[in-house]
Amino acid sequence: MGRYAIRRLLQLVPVVLGTTFIINYMVWQLPGDPFAGRCGQRPCPDSYVAAMRDQFGLDQPLLVQYWNFLKNLLTGNLGVNFNGVSVASELGDAWPITIRLALMAVLFEAVIGIGAGVLSGLKRGGFIDNVVTISTLFLLSLPIFVTGYLLQWLLGVQLGVITPTVTDEATVPELIVPALVLASLNMAFTARLTRTSIVENLRADYVRTAVAKGLSNRRVVAIHLLRNSLIPVLTFLGTEVGSLMSGAIITEGIFNIHGIGGLLWRAILDQDYTVVVPVATLLVLVYLLANLLVDLLYGVLDPRIRYE
Amino acid sequence: MSDPTATQDLIKGADEPAASPVAVRGGQRSLWRDTWDILKRRKIFWISLVMLVVFLLMAAFPSLFTHKDPEYATLAKSMELPSADAWFGYDLQGRDVYARAVYGARTSIIVGVLATLATVLLGGLTGVLAAYFGRWLDAIISRVGEMFLGLPYVLGAIIILGTVAPAQSNPGKATIMAVVIIVLALLGWPILMRIARSAVIQAKHQDYVQAARALGAGPLRIIFKHLLPNSLAPILVYSTITIGSYIGAEATLSLLGIGLRSPVISWGIAIADHASYIRTAPHAMFFPAGFLSLCVLTFVMLGEAVRDALDPKLR
Repeated sequence: MGRYAIRRLLQLVPVVLGTTFIINYMVWQLPGDPFAGRCGQRPCPDSYVAAMRDQFGLDQPLLVQYWNFLKNLLTGNLGVNFNGVSVASELGDAWPITIRLALMAVLFEAVIGIGAGVLSGLKRGGFIDNVVTISTLFLLSLPIFVTGYLLQWLLGVQLGVITPTVTDEATVPELIVPALVLASLNMAFTARLTRTSIVENLRADYVRTAVAKGLSNRRVVAIHLLRNSLIPVLTFLGTEVGSLMSGAIITEGIFNIHGIGGLLWRAILDQDYTVVVPVATLLVLVYLLANLLVDLLYGVLDPRIRYE
Repeated sequence: MSDPTATQDLIKGADEPAASPVAVRGGQRSLWRDTWDILKRRKIFWISLVMLVVFLLMAAFPSLFTHKDPEYATLAKSMELPSADAWFGYDLQGRDVYARAVYGARTSIIVGVLATLATVLLGGLTGVLAAYFGRWLDAIISRVGEMFLGLPYVLGAIIILGTVAPAQSNPGKATIMAVVIIVLALLGWPILMRIARSAVIQAKHQDYVQAARALGAGPLRIIFKHLLPNSLAPILVYSTITIGSYIGAEATLSLLGIGLRSPVISWGIAIADHASYIRTAPHAMFFPAGFLSLCVLTFVMLGEAVRDALDPKLR
C-alpha cells in the first residue's frame, strides 16, 4: 500500500507538469493577444504591449517562462489582477464559498442519487425503477445551465421561493438550489451507477448465502448488499469532487455566487488572464489530487484489491 | 414507424467491416444482426430515431419548418410574448424566436457531429497505435492522454478558446466553428483512445489475429481488417452519446461568450443573449433551451438504446 501510494504520487508528477505546461503554453503562446482585453475596446498601444511582454517575460525562452511560472505557483506568488488586487487574496475569499457549495452538492448526490439507485435496483422493472430511469435520462440531457436558469426563473422569479441571486455571505440555505443544480448531472450518474451495482450484486453468491442463512431482508440489504455495492459509487463521487469545482463555473455565474467559479467566470468575460491561469491551475491540481485520493481509497474500501 | 431505410443505413454502416473478419455471412448470426433484432423491439429506439430524423431534417432544410427569415428583425416587436403570429414570440432584437430555434439546429448538429468524428479519428487512431505497437509508443500516448484528461472539460476549453478567440474578438463564422470543433476534439480524445486501446489489447492475442499474422499479414492489414472492427461496438456507443454531450458543451461555451457568436445562429448564443432578460422575456431563452435539451436527449437516448442492445452483460 505504501509503495503503491508513492508510485502513484510519482506518476502524478509528470501529469501535473504536463497539464500545467499545457495551460501555460496555451494562454501565453498561442496566436492571439493575451493583453487584448486590457485597453477596453481599442487596441493597446505598442509601448504598453512591450512593457507587458517584458513584465510577464514573454520574450524569454519557453522553458524559462515555464520555470518562472512554477516557481511563482509554489511560492504562492499568484500576481495581481487588472485592478491591482492580489489574486491570492481574491482566492482566499472565494475558496470557502466554493467548498461549501461543492460539499453540499456532493451531499445531495450521495443522499438522493444513492437513495434513488438503491430503490430502483432492488425492484428492477418496477414503478420506481421506471420513474428513476426516465428522470435520470432527462437530467442527463439537460445541460447544467438550462437547469440553472430554469430553477432560477421558476423558483426565484415566478414563485419567489428563493432569491434569484445569492448574497455575498452565501449562507447554507441560499446555496441549496445552486447546489442542487450543480449536483443534478452527477446525481443522475450516481443513481444509475448504484442501480447497476445493486443489480449485479443481487445475483452474487454471498447474497444468496446470506438469504439462505435466514437473515432478514433488511439485514441482507443494509449490511451485505449495500456495503459491497457502494464501493464504485463512492469512488465515483470522490473523483467528481474535483470536476464539481470546474462545474461550479457555470452555476456560480448564473446565481452570482462569489466563489472560485464566479471569479473565473468574471475573469473570462473581462479577459483577465492573470487571474484565469493561476485559478485554472489550482482547480486542475485539486482535480488531480482528488483522483489520486480516490485511487488510494479504493484499496482501503475493497480489500479484494491488492496493489502490487 | 418513420424511416426504416435510415436505420438500416445506420446499422449497415457499422455492419460492413465487422462481417468480413468474423466470416459468418449467411447462416450464422453476427453481433450486428443480434443488435438490430433487439433494437427494433425497443420503443425508446424508435422514439429517438423519429426525433433524430426531425432534427436532421431541421438541420438540412430549415425552410421546411418555418417560412420566416431568422435574420429579419423588427425592433418594435422586441421581446413580444408568444402569439398566434409568432408561436414562440420575438427576441430582444425583434426576431422570430421559433425561426431562430429552427435555424440553430444546423450549427449545433454540425458542431456535434464533426467534433465527434474528429474525436473518434484522433482517439481511435492513437488508441489502436498504442495498443498494437505497445512499448514506448503506448507509454507516450497514454501519458499525453492523462495530461489532457487532467484538464476538466469546461476549464480546458476556457483556457484554449479564451486565448484563440477571446470574448470580445470577432472571428468569422467558419473559423469559430472550426476552432470550437478542434477544441472539443482535443479535450475529448483521451477517453476514446482508452476505449479503442483496451478493445484492441483484448483482441490482439485472440487466435484469429495470431492466425492472420502467421499467414503473413502486415500491421496495416491486421489493424484495419481484424482489430478495428472489434473496437467498433464500444466506439459506436460512446460516440453517439458524445454527439449529444458535445452539443451541450458547444452551448455552454457559447454561453460563456468564448464559443460560437453572432452572426452564427445557435441555441447557445440565443440562450446567452437572453439570460439577462429572464424576468421580462423568459420565452426568448427557454424555447431555444428546450430545443437544445431535446436534441441532446435524442442522442443520449439513441446511444443508450444501442448500448443496451450491444452489451451482452445486460441481456
